[in-house]
Amino acid sequence: MMKKFGEVILLLLLLSFVPHAEVTRYSLPGKPALTRCRSPEKETFTCWWEPGSDGGLPTTYALYYRKENSEMVYECPDYHTAGKNSCFFNKNDTSIWVNYNITVVASNALGSTFSDPVDIDVVYIVKPNPPEKVAVTVMEDKGWPFLRVSWEPPHKADTRSGWITLIYELRVKLEGENEWEMHLAGQQKMFNIFSLRSGGRYLVQVRCKPDHGFWSEWSSASHIKVPDYFHRERSVWILITVFFAFIFLIVSWCIHINSHSLKHCILPPVPGPKIRGFDKQLLKNGKSEDIFSALVVSDFPPTSSSNYEDLLVEYLEVYIPEEQELILEESKDLQDGCLKPKGSTFDSDSGRGSCDSHTLLMDKCGEAKDDGRQTDQDGTQTGSEAQRQQAAWEQEALTYAHEDMISPDMSSGRVKTWPSVFSPLPQYSLSPLNQPSSLETAKQHCLSDSLFPPSSLSSYLTQPGQSTKEALRSSCSDFCSSNKQPLLLHPQPDARHQLQARSDVSISSISHKEAPAGLQLPTVRSTEYVEVHTVNEEDMVLLHPVPSGHSHGKGCLQTHQGEDYSKVNGVDKNNVLLLQREVMEEQVDMCPCENQDANGATESYCTSSAQKSIPCIHTALPVQEEKAVNGYVDTATMFPLPIH
Amino acid sequence: MLVCLVFCGKLTTVDAAPLCTNAQAGCHVLSLANLFDRVIQHSARMHGISNDLHSEFEVYFLPSKNQIGRVSRNCHTSSILTPNGKENAQRMAREELTEVILKLLVAWRDPLWHFHQSMAHHHDFNNFSSNKSLEMSDMVHELRKGVQKVVEKMQMLGIISNSVSNLASPEALLASDSAEWRLMKDYDLLYCFRRDSNKVQNYLKILKCRIVPEHGC
Repeated sequence: MMKKFGEVILLLLLLSFVPHAEVTRYSLPGKPALTRCRSPEKETFTCWWEPGSDGGLPTTYALYYRKENSEMVYECPDYHTAGKNSCFFNKNDTSIWVNYNITVVASNALGSTFSDPVDIDVVYIVKPNPPEKVAVTVMEDKGWPFLRVSWEPPHKADTRSGWITLIYELRVKLEGENEWEMHLAGQQKMFNIFSLRSGGRYLVQVRCKPDHGFWSEWSSASHIKVPDYFHRERSVWILITVFFAFIFLIVSWCIHINSHSLKHCILPPVPGPKIRGFDKQLLKNGKSEDIFSALVVSDFPPTSSSNYEDLLVEYLEVYIPEEQELILEESKDLQDGCLKPKGSTFDSDSGRGSCDSHTLLMDKCGEAKDDGRQTDQDGTQTGSEAQRQQAAWEQEALTYAHEDMISPDMSSGRVKTWPSVFSPLPQYSLSPLNQPSSLETAKQHCLSDSLFPPSSLSSYLTQPGQSTKEALRSSCSDFCSSNKQPLLLHPQPDARHQLQARSDVSISSISHKEAPAGLQLPTVRSTEYVEVHTVNEEDMVLLHPVPSGHSHGKGCLQTHQGEDYSKVNGVDKNNVLLLQREVMEEQVDMCPCENQDANGATESYCTSSAQKSIPCIHTALPVQEEKAVNGYVDTATMFPLPIH
Repeated sequence: MLVCLVFCGKLTTVDAAPLCTNAQAGCHVLSLANLFDRVIQHSARMHGISNDLHSEFEVYFLPSKNQIGRVSRNCHTSSILTPNGKENAQRMAREELTEVILKLLVAWRDPLWHFHQSMAHHHDFNNFSSNKSLEMSDMVHELRKGVQKVVEKMQMLGIISNSVSNLASPEALLASDSAEWRLMKDYDLLYCFRRDSNKVQNYLKILKCRIVPEHGC
């Protein structure tokens, strides 16, 4: 039992192995398949097939074909020319417009396998060879290059006899790029390519196709380099040049349009001296006499009712702060009586600055102020200050009277107070001071500082018979000298300094001069207060002394001890002289100077300006604008220099 | 008015003068080349149409691949002896070649007309195909006339002899086996005509490049 069972198992095992042995047996070859047939020139053709599995045995392949309307089976005449698994039909075996029924047979020892038959007509399987002798040249068309591509048909294809008609196609691309540019050339064998990149390297290929058939392969690439016909570098420079030229044109045009305003911006006009008759050349020459003589206006004081405005324009304000201060000093012999108007009463009169000299102001105060003068200083004069002013005005009035100067009616609307001052104070006597030592310097300063009517000074200080110029000088000098009196009385180093600021050596000398006993400048300084009463129709400010504790008389130049209202603060809108109140003794009465605000270039005698004080007399005090509390203006407060 | 009629009659009798007069020999050659070009273009167009129609028929009828061979293509024109290769065609005389062309064209005039008729009745095909068949039929007719003109020209120029028979004669028509083509199916008809139109085109090109080779060969 056991043995039989084992035998059965053994038999089963043997049987199981048998099929494995049978697996390795050979079989028929696999079915081949014709893949394609091609004719390069419509005279021969080739067919290729794909073999199937070989079935383990050596397999041979055979191709058989039948022609149309014939039952004759032929075998492939040539298996080798076209390579493996191919059949080549030469010219003798090729018939055009004839159907070929082709079959491939694979056979081995066990049998053979037929492939599926394929019908072909040679006319429709033509695939020519690529075109040959492709030539690419660069040619020029009016300076612009183009490519000329020429080629020849494949040598096998007979196009000359008309047997095959080929159409061509070419493609171009730049080296390194991926996209080709296709061109269909038709039956021609030459083609032009335009729109080339300067300096580019191109690849060109050509292919062809019969009118009914397949496209050939592309010919081998032909390389060509296009010359640089476009000079990039030069063109860039040309562009830059053109661009900048354009910008330049625009900028120059803008400048031309705005030339006027630009000129003002870059080179602002320098204001020149607004002195009529002032010759720069003379100044350069250095002859002061000539200069000053030129300044002296022959027709001054205007005898006729000329336009005061013109006169006003001519004259600069002279501000003599120091001298004013000195003069305003009550205790001293500020005999000029000029109340120095506050230097602060200044408008924007540009001409005034140069003339802001106390000394000058004093001088001016001393002489009758021309109506043409416009003092922007407001000198409301009350009390002693008014008195001083009165005195000054008186002087001026006298001078005017002497010189046949401007009558009170000459006073323009701007100068309101002075003429009136002149008139009511005739009783004051002029006591010119003769201080030759200081005359010169004073004269110098006086003259240099202002243009105020010289006649006033002269008349004030000296005899009226002098010419206006001389009068001016002398008056100025005299004035200075007279003004120096107070300086002597009230030595004020600061004033001196200030005066010296104007090269007033005389100041010191002045200061040391004897007390201006003789200085009887009818300045209404000291403690007399003058109150502005009214303004008459002739634009004259009528003052009347205000009874006060202060003593009248003497002169205007009196040191004022205690409250000093001799300073003219200014003239307010209502043409009210604002006197400044000062509680100092050291105030120099300055000639009340009224400056009109009207003209910017008018001289202001009484503007206090330290630098401009005529050394003659007054200490130059900075302009202080202090409105008197009670309406009184003390010009003396302008000058911080103590005058004692 | 009578005078005008006379003039008009005279004008009509005058053939359209060519660009150059008959006296110039060079002008003749040029005109022959032009004629050849025209007929070649015509034949090319004819072949294109037949190709299109054949492709359409393939879609509709879907014959198996093997059928292509089995049909055996017994075209009714197979009796006409046509060169099957370049050498054969080049070896053939001009007159023979010309006759072959003309025979082919003549042989296809009736079958195409009938084909068109059957196409028109068959509502399976769209109008586009029907128009093409009509155009094809007309084209054969026109092409034959054109080729005849070329032959006349050539005979006039002495290029070919006058042995080319006038194929427009009714005898030529009767020579063709009119019954054969009726047995053919439409699809086979198209297949045969497609091939024959290609032959005509090719033969005309060969003729042109043989007779007037300097003009585009």
